[in-house]
Amino acid sequence: MEVVQKEHSRLIKRTEGSQGIKNVESAIDSLQSARDAIVADPSSASAVLATLQNSVKSSFDSINDSLKETHSGLNKYTKSLDKLFKDRPLPGTDEDGLSTHENFINRAIAMHLLREGQFGVAATFLSEIAEQKTMYPVSQNGHGPTNPPASLLDMDEVPSTEIRKQFASMYYILQQLQENRNLLPAIEWSRENREALDARGSNLEFELCRLQYVWLYHGGANSQGTASGWLAALEYARREFHVFVPRYLREVQQLVGAMAYSPNLGGSPYAALFNNSSAWDDVAHFFTREFCSLLGLSADSPLYIAATAGAIALPTLLKLQTIMKSKRTEWTSDNELPVEIPLPPQYLFHSIFVCPVSKEQATDENPPMMMPCGHVIAQESLKRLGKGNRFKCPYCPSESHPKDARKVFL
Amino acid sequence: MKRVLIEVLTQDQPLLRLPHELARRNFKTVQRVVEREKEYVIPALKETASASLSNTQTPDQTLAALDAMISRMQGLKRKMESLQEEEKKIHNQSRKRIQHLETLHKIPSLADVKYDQWSRVRLDRLLVDHMLRSGYSESAKQLAQDRGVEDLVDLGVFTQCQRVVDSLRRGETKEALQWCGENKAALKKSQHNLEFELRLQQYIEMVRTQDKSKKLEAIIHAKKYLIPNHQSQNSEIMRAAGLLVFTQDTRAEPYKSLFALSRWKYLAQLFIQTHHELLSLPSQPLLHIALSAGLSALKTPLCHSAFTSSSSNSQSTSTSVCPICSTELNELARKMPYAHHSKSYVESDPIVLPNGRVYGKQRLIEISRKMGSVEPGNVKDPTTGEIFQESEMKKVYIM
Repeated sequence: MEVVQKEHSRLIKRTEGSQGIKNVESAIDSLQSARDAIVADPSSASAVLATLQNSVKSSFDSINDSLKETHSGLNKYTKSLDKLFKDRPLPGTDEDGLSTHENFINRAIAMHLLREGQFGVAATFLSEIAEQKTMYPVSQNGHGPTNPPASLLDMDEVPSTEIRKQFASMYYILQQLQENRNLLPAIEWSRENREALDARGSNLEFELCRLQYVWLYHGGANSQGTASGWLAALEYARREFHVFVPRYLREVQQLVGAMAYSPNLGGSPYAALFNNSSAWDDVAHFFTREFCSLLGLSADSPLYIAATAGAIALPTLLKLQTIMKSKRTEWTSDNELPVEIPLPPQYLFHSIFVCPVSKEQATDENPPMMMPCGHVIAQESLKRLGKGNRFKCPYCPSESHPKDARKVFL
Repeated sequence: MKRVLIEVLTQDQPLLRLPHELARRNFKTVQRVVEREKEYVIPALKETASASLSNTQTPDQTLAALDAMISRMQGLKRKMESLQEEEKKIHNQSRKRIQHLETLHKIPSLADVKYDQWSRVRLDRLLVDHMLRSGYSESAKQLAQDRGVEDLVDLGVFTQCQRVVDSLRRGETKEALQWCGENKAALKKSQHNLEFELRLQQYIEMVRTQDKSKKLEAIIHAKKYLIPNHQSQNSEIMRAAGLLVFTQDTRAEPYKSLFALSRWKYLAQLFIQTHHELLSLPSQPLLHIALSAGLSALKTPLCHSAFTSSSSNSQSTSTSVCPICSTELNELARKMPYAHHSKSYVESDPIVLPNGRVYGKQRLIEISRKMGSVEPGNVKDPTTGEIFQESEMKKVYIM
């Protein structure tokens, strides 16, 4: 990489120092002065023209010299690029299995744009998709399994106006929260969705109100009352906290109890509660996650995660491709990748169960089964080991009957 | 880890290759214009000089010849200036791209926050690339501007390509032929014979009219543009000749498909292929390549399972939704293979509830504490909402 950078800056230097245009100018100058000389003294024409020939020719020669220099610079840069990318072919050109799902990809992109708050781009994108579909309708004798144009505009295909509205309100709330330190829209949203949040066991509302209390204590500006500082906080607590008492008694006690130390809270056991520098970011993150979860969506853009994971996975897959090609082997199980991809742990979302006996991953058809001793193996292994009779667990001395094993959900 | 990063980098080859290709072309253009002027000015000057020596020329003629040369040279200067401007722009773009890749080079590991930021820029780039390739130029431009990645994407190249594609889809060959003319030298190496196919289409359109004089014109056209290719395209030329006796509603093959309007679509496709090949652009959008690898790497058998997963689902607050399970990608990933794992991966200290769901013990107790409706000593299944006594949790061994 350093070599490429060096060669490139050298190339730029060469370009900047290029004398090409100057040489053209000098040729023009000598032509012009020759012309002037001939106008002044027509009889000298042949002599002037003779010298002119030489000077114009030498100008062209120096133009070519400077071009040659640029050319060698370009070539050196080419070589450094070739070296950097040596033996590393571009990803294969064979079908990627995604081209036929253009509209799913476009939907994912539209959702990604909405998630990222790029509402303008998303709107343009959707209208351009619609426009193209009407301009080039899929012909009757359509090639392959392209989807009919109408389906893309279906409500469940492209983010519906409803989802767009949802994301817009999410962005409004987040913006208020992060830029204006205004928690009220978020609190209001969490109250409206209290039931759904409770069902998830989410304490978002309490977290928001707690931050509001702390914020008021620190003199946050958006109090409705006239009191300031700890008075405003206490007033807020009196007004709002009673809802939380049954569930968060301890936390509420701490929050209110801390007031006894005011104004020297920093030196009290409660200092950490009140001076948490990442509190705002945490709450914003928490809010985004809850908001997306209620819509059935993951908190981080799936498109982002998938593309990033893809960048990590690609080298391994490419290597595999080359090996398979050179050994002419086919990969036998087409529903599972043949190699393990070392993704960082944050890319693991589900638990993974690999049967310790058969080394196969559990699927719906072959689910994990727990024997009475608490060890888990895949259903097929269970059948093979037990053959309908009592058998010994492969991992401990206890014996059991296959029918005593229970399916577990990871 | 470092090795992985370097390999990630190589996926971005086109990022540097394309501007370099453009720079080389720009250079060749400079070379060509200089050569052309040189070939005019030097002999012209020689002629004028010898004419003035032998006194066959009036002074006025000499001056006029000099004036012509001066204006040619001034034209050259203008051309070179604008080409140099272009060159600077290209180099600047390359420089920014090298910087962008260099940033990746300096990131110590995949877990670094900077890798996250870098990947976001990368995704923006891939999205713009995909949009441009699909012909959504306006969205691409907006996104590139909003995200400040204009120097990392090839708006100009694709917009130009799209313009030609659009003209072909409208049934016009002019812009495509013009492009062929501009890239004549490079096209000689191409395995696709785009220009021949375009000329053939022009011929077909003339025959289609069934007008006598037009047909004559078609024959002349064929002699001029098609016949010279007889070595490589003989059978095509024969077919084209045969076409003269058919009308466009014929059912006889191959004439029916020669007359077919879908041939324009084929031409548009051929143009894109040739264009990308010439500029060493990958034929697939990188987004597709990255996504299909990523979807498989992330996918687990649980993502399309009929049973709700205990470890990651939208009903539970304690986990984040898996990106493959999220509605955006779920359908897309349905036909993808799932990732290979050789080891089980479960939360630490797993227990099973009477309903068969497996959770990490500590985590389950913590979530239940947070939920107001759960009595002490009980736990609530975050997936199904069922309440169990803590004593009902049973240790499970997952190897």
